[in-house]
Order: sequence, then structure tokens, then C-alpha cells
Amino acid sequence: MAKTNINPSDLDFDGIKNKLKDYLQSKDEFADYDFEGSALSNVLDVLAYNTHINALTANMAINESFLETAQLRGSIVTHSHSLGYYPTSMTSSNATLNLVADLSGFVGDRPSTITLPSGFAFNTTVENVGYTFQTQQTYTATDDGSGSYVFVDGDGSSEIKAYEGAYKTKTFLVPSVSDLRHYIINDVSIDTETLIVRVYENANTDEYVVYTNIVDAVRITDESTFYVIRETPNGNFELQFTDGGNVGTAPAPGSKVEAIYISTNGPAPNGANAFVAADLLTVDGQNFSVSVTTQAAAGGGGDKEPISSIKFHAPIAYASQRRMVTAQDYHIQITSNYSFIEDVISWGGEDNIPIDYGKIYISIKYPENTSDDTKTETQDSIVQNLIEPLGTVSITAKFIEPIYTYMGITTSFDFNPSLSGITVQATGDRITSKVSEYFNNNLGQFEEEFRRSNLLTEIDEISPAVLSTKIDVTLNQRLTPILNFVKTYNIIFPVELAIPDDINSIITSTPFTFKDTTCTIRNKSLSNNLEIIDGNGDVVSDSIGTYEPTTGEVNLVDFSPQSIVGGGSFIKFLAIPAKQSSIKPLRNYLFVLDDDLNVSTGTVDYQKTRVSI
Amino acid sequence: MTTTQRRFSIEDGDLNVRTIYSSRDTSYSDLDLSFEENSIGDVYKKLDAAAVKQAVKNIVLCNYGEKPFQPFFGTDIRNMLFELFDFGTSEDIKRRIRLAINRYEPRARIREIFVSAEDEVNSLSVEIIFEVINTSEVVTLVTSISRLR
Repeated sequence: MAKTNINPSDLDFDGIKNKLKDYLQSKDEFADYDFEGSALSNVLDVLAYNTHINALTANMAINESFLETAQLRGSIVTHSHSLGYYPTSMTSSNATLNLVADLSGFVGDRPSTITLPSGFAFNTTVENVGYTFQTQQTYTATDDGSGSYVFVDGDGSSEIKAYEGAYKTKTFLVPSVSDLRHYIINDVSIDTETLIVRVYENANTDEYVVYTNIVDAVRITDESTFYVIRETPNGNFELQFTDGGNVGTAPAPGSKVEAIYISTNGPAPNGANAFVAADLLTVDGQNFSVSVTTQAAAGGGGDKEPISSIKFHAPIAYASQRRMVTAQDYHIQITSNYSFIEDVISWGGEDNIPIDYGKIYISIKYPENTSDDTKTETQDSIVQNLIEPLGTVSITAKFIEPIYTYMGITTSFDFNPSLSGITVQATGDRITSKVSEYFNNNLGQFEEEFRRSNLLTEIDEISPAVLSTKIDVTLNQRLTPILNFVKTYNIIFPVELAIPDDINSIITSTPFTFKDTTCTIRNKSLSNNLEIIDGNGDVVSDSIGTYEPTTGEVNLVDFSPQSIVGGGSFIKFLAIPAKQSSIKPLRNYLFVLDDDLNVSTGTVDYQKTRVSI
Repeated sequence: MTTTQRRFSIEDGDLNVRTIYSSRDTSYSDLDLSFEENSIGDVYKKLDAAAVKQAVKNIVLCNYGEKPFQPFFGTDIRNMLFELFDFGTSEDIKRRIRLAINRYEPRARIREIFVSAEDEVNSLSVEIIFEVINTSEVVTLVTSISRLR
């Protein structure tokens, strides 16, 4: 029997075509299947291509059917919805401003109080692109007696929030029950956090009921007024309501639904710090300028949640069931509600050092240039909107800053110039670039682990002329001491350190001035005691502290440097980890590359060595 | 060992009415791309030199990117219809044809290629004289390419 073993799921075009050729080989009817110009080859092309496309389509359809393997955003978002997870939309950047109106030139009697309307706009520029920010509520100001009015909110605070983007309104008329109800908002840039949904009983009334997002629901009754806002497969958004049964009320046929939201540019305006009022303020028919002082630069703008994040978070969110009980719950709730945050780690007080029962520790990595005000507001918002309604009563949240541990990478490589057109120096430069690239791609977030073998593999692939590679890893923490002040310091490395030996110093430091001498710190040979030495290696202070290899702690006792050599603000303390091949940070520590300590050294080896005795 | 068969090509004319005056052993057999129906209801075949001639024609008339997963298969000369026909064009076409046939049609050895432009009708005439390698039969393929509009 002729060979007809064609696997319908085989994806490779050439493989399919070769199997068809195998089949024809067993027949004597046609012999030209091997010649690419033949008609038979063209027919085989059509058959193989058809099988290829069918297999590819089947493969892709199966892949898109599961959250783990789906590649298209529309598929991933839809899968996440079935798990009750709603990926975050773009978020609007916001800035904190102080606003003052000068009405000293007012003709007539100045009013005692004036109002700044909601939607008052400000212009700013980031990288030569203009953006518009605007207020979201009304603010009032009172005359200080000289015609100067400082605007404040209802609590008397002069910190005025302005949000980037344009307000848009979408209006729907609710059709009859028999019609399909789809409320599509054709805008991919919506910030769903700003969405306000009003339902009017009919198109002619001004009275409305405000519906709230179901993700904020703690309890749902038959009288609840909730909406669901979800991303559609094409990137727009769809507003949904309940069926009007026992899971909440729904807008009745004939009523009007109004969706008001900000359409934003996401993270692009972040960092904007110079604002000017776009409009004049009109008071009793007279126009006055509003002067703007930036209190906190714009921040908090974010893109839609990326698909990698949705894949990671949706199953965990399903498991956590919108509760905040385990440490992982805190991670998932914070990251899924604050898309501009780069990373979050949380752990229970029982896992902290020192142990602190009844606490949940949270460390947040913000994007660069995030202002302290934004950080504080974000933490307040997390407490108010997430932890208080969803958390366990007896647990107290404690926010702590991430701690950066710097890694020094010293690469030594053997290089055969005859196998490459570039020099050993240029190869060294490529290696240091590769190291930087590795750190950018693989480290810098919480719990991201350094694996030396992976880095070595990437370096070896740079050129066949790189014969062998060795990497030595050091860690360094930066201590900012109080100069000319005797103090005890505790420096913690988030890994186990090497035990002392008689060849290398496990702990070393960068130079500083001590007793009018340029000195450094190192551990003594075969000892975990630390000493201060001068440039000649002579001991200046015999005992300045100790280090503990198992816990990674370095204690400096009564340390009083006079100045830091080089004029920096910190002294680097370098340590050799116990295990260099795989280094994983603990808790709120993150690994980043110390660019000053990313060094590569090549040794030329023509591989012509002859062993002679 | 090659099986000896006797086959006839549609190019020999209407076999139902024409006297068959020649036949020979075949080793190349291909489908006739015209897909004409023969007397027994099957498609005609192309045999030997006719098969090679059809393959050469296919290669010459194939544009780059037409054959799946072989982006540089063919000569791409149909795409040249919209180029200016200057002093180097005919040599370029010859070079392309020679290159493609050498690469994709091992049964043909090119002897001569003639390219002429027929300006009045916006077409290009190509004549390829080649030898079928295992028979030493010399075949002439003449084809023209013209714009549809």
C-alpha cells in the first residue's frame, strides 16, 4: 500500500510536501515531483500549503483557547473575564498644583469667595508633546484682603489635583427587553477609574441614579446599582448591567445611560512639572489669569495591563476571590488595581526579620521619577480602598521602601582572534553590554533571581572567538554615614555570604578618610572581624565590627568616617556571596547592576599551545 | 531501472484524429497544466522534453514570492513589465533566466536566450533554446509577456 502518512497537525510545509513526494515515489504514474518547476510540484505546493494552513489554524485556535497559551490580547482578556478578572485600563497621569487667582484689578467690589469650575484646564509639555490636564471637581478660594485668592478643596487643602486627558461622554438609550443590549464605548484610551455612569429614567429628565463599578462591590442585593466595564476583543470597552433580577437593578427600557470618562494618553505625560492655565477665570464677567505652582510633578499614568501580567494575575485573582488574607492576595489586589506600579511584594510579619506578628509588609516599586506625594497618596488609597474593605481586621499593613542591592560582574574570557574579525577589546565591550542587557531583561523586579549559567550562555553566544568565560560576582550595599559622628551601622545583604578564608577578603569597602588617612574596610584573614586599613595595607583600626556569613549582616561599631573619597555621598560595602551561581533576593530586596563594577577582561589564546616537558 | 512506457503529449496535436508518427522511451512525466481532458476522461500528461519545457516555462513565468516558502523561486520578469526597457534590461532578463534554470531545473542546459521588446503592444518576447540533458534533445521555448492593461 502506498505511503499516505500525513499528519494533519504537522506544521512544517516542507515536511508535508516531502510526505506527498514519498507517496508519489511509490507510484509510477508521475515522476517529476522532484523538479521544482514541474506542474506536479505546483500541485504539491497547493496541497501542502492547504494542509499547512489548516494545521496552523487548528494549532492557533487551540492555543487561543487557553489562558496559558493564548497570544492575542483579545483572547487573553476574554479568558480573564471568565475568571472574574478585569484587566486594568490605561490610567490617567495626575499632578498636584497650587492655584492662585489675582483679582486685585477687579472693577467694583471684589467677591469674598470665588469658584474654580470642574474641568478647568492646564497645558504642559513633555518631550515637545503638548498635553492637557484638568480638574475633576470645583474648588473655592477666599479673598485674603489684597485680591489674592488661593484655591482649596472641601477639606481646606490647597493641593489641587489635575488629571491628564479629555473628558468624553457617551450616551445610550436602553432598548426594549427583546433587543440585544450592547453599550460599546469606542475608545481604547479610556481610564475606567474615572468612569461615571448615570442612568436617567427617560431621555427628558435631569434626575439620575449613579451606578458604581461592580469590582468595588462588597455586597450585592436586588437593589444594588452596579455596572461592569470590560475590554472587548478589539480593545474598546463595553458597559454591562445586570439582568435586573436578584443581582442588582438594571436600567429599564426607555431610560438613558450616560457614561462620562477621561480618554487619556497613559504614561506619556508622566514627569510633566511646568503647567500653565489654558483658560482665564471669569468672575462676574471679568477675566483673570490663574497662576500655577507645581507641587508634585505628573505621575501615575499607565498603559493597559500587559498580557503577561494578565496571564499571571488572572488565575491568582481567581484563587484569592477578592479577599486580602494571604500575602499573595495583597500582591494581586494592588497590582491589578494600580497599573502604573511596576512591582509589589508582600510578606507576613512572621517571615520578617525581626519577626513582627500581626503585620503585613508591603513594598512597592514605583516607576522612576514618581514623586513622594504620589507614593503617599497611592499608599493611602491602597489602605482606604483595598485593605480596609477587603483585608482581615486584625492585620495591620506596613509599607516599606524597596532596597537595591548592587551586583558587580567581573568577566574573564579567553579569546582567539583568528576566529573573529573584531578585537579582544571590542569583544570585551560587547560582553559588558550583554551583561547590562541581561540585567535589564531578567533582574530589577522583586524575587527575580540571578543565574550565572544563563548569563554565561548568552556571553558565549556573542562570538565563536570567545573560547571560555568565567564570572565573579560581588554584591554591594551603599552606606550613607553621618560624617565625623560616631555611630553603629547595620548593613544587610539579602543572601548568605562566603565564609572567611586566607586568600580573599570577603568584605571590602570603597575608600573613605579616617584619622586623616585614606582607608578601606576589610575582614581579617580567616576571621569575620572587620578592620580598617590604609593604602599600604597597614591596620589603622583593629576592630571596627564583624560580619555574619549566614545572615548576611555586616555590623560596624562606633564607625566615624571624616569624609568619603571621591566626594560621593555613600561608601560601597562589597561582599562575596556564598553561592555565586544562583542568587535570589529576599523580601524587599532587588538586584541591579553596578555599572562601575561591570568589567570584562580578555586573554588572547590562539589555541596553539604545545605541552612540553 | 527506468520503466519503459510510451506516452504522448497534447502538444503532438489531437491524438484522436492525427496519425501518431513518433514515440520513444520516457523517463520524465508530469501533469499537463492545461488540464485538458483526454479520450479516457483523464488529464493529459507531459512527457520527456515536453515535461521539461513546461517546467522551464513555469520557472520563467514565476515571480518572486509566488511559490510558498521559496521567496526567490522564479525569474520575476513579469514584474519587469512595468520597468523602463533600457539597454541593460534584456541582459538582466537573460541573467535572471539563466540563474533560475541553472538553480531549479537540472534537466535543462541553456544554449541561447533571446529577449526582444515589442513596444507597440507593450509586451516582451523571450526565446529560450535549451537542451534536455539526458536526451540531448534541443527544445525551443518561446513565450511572451504582456501587460493586461
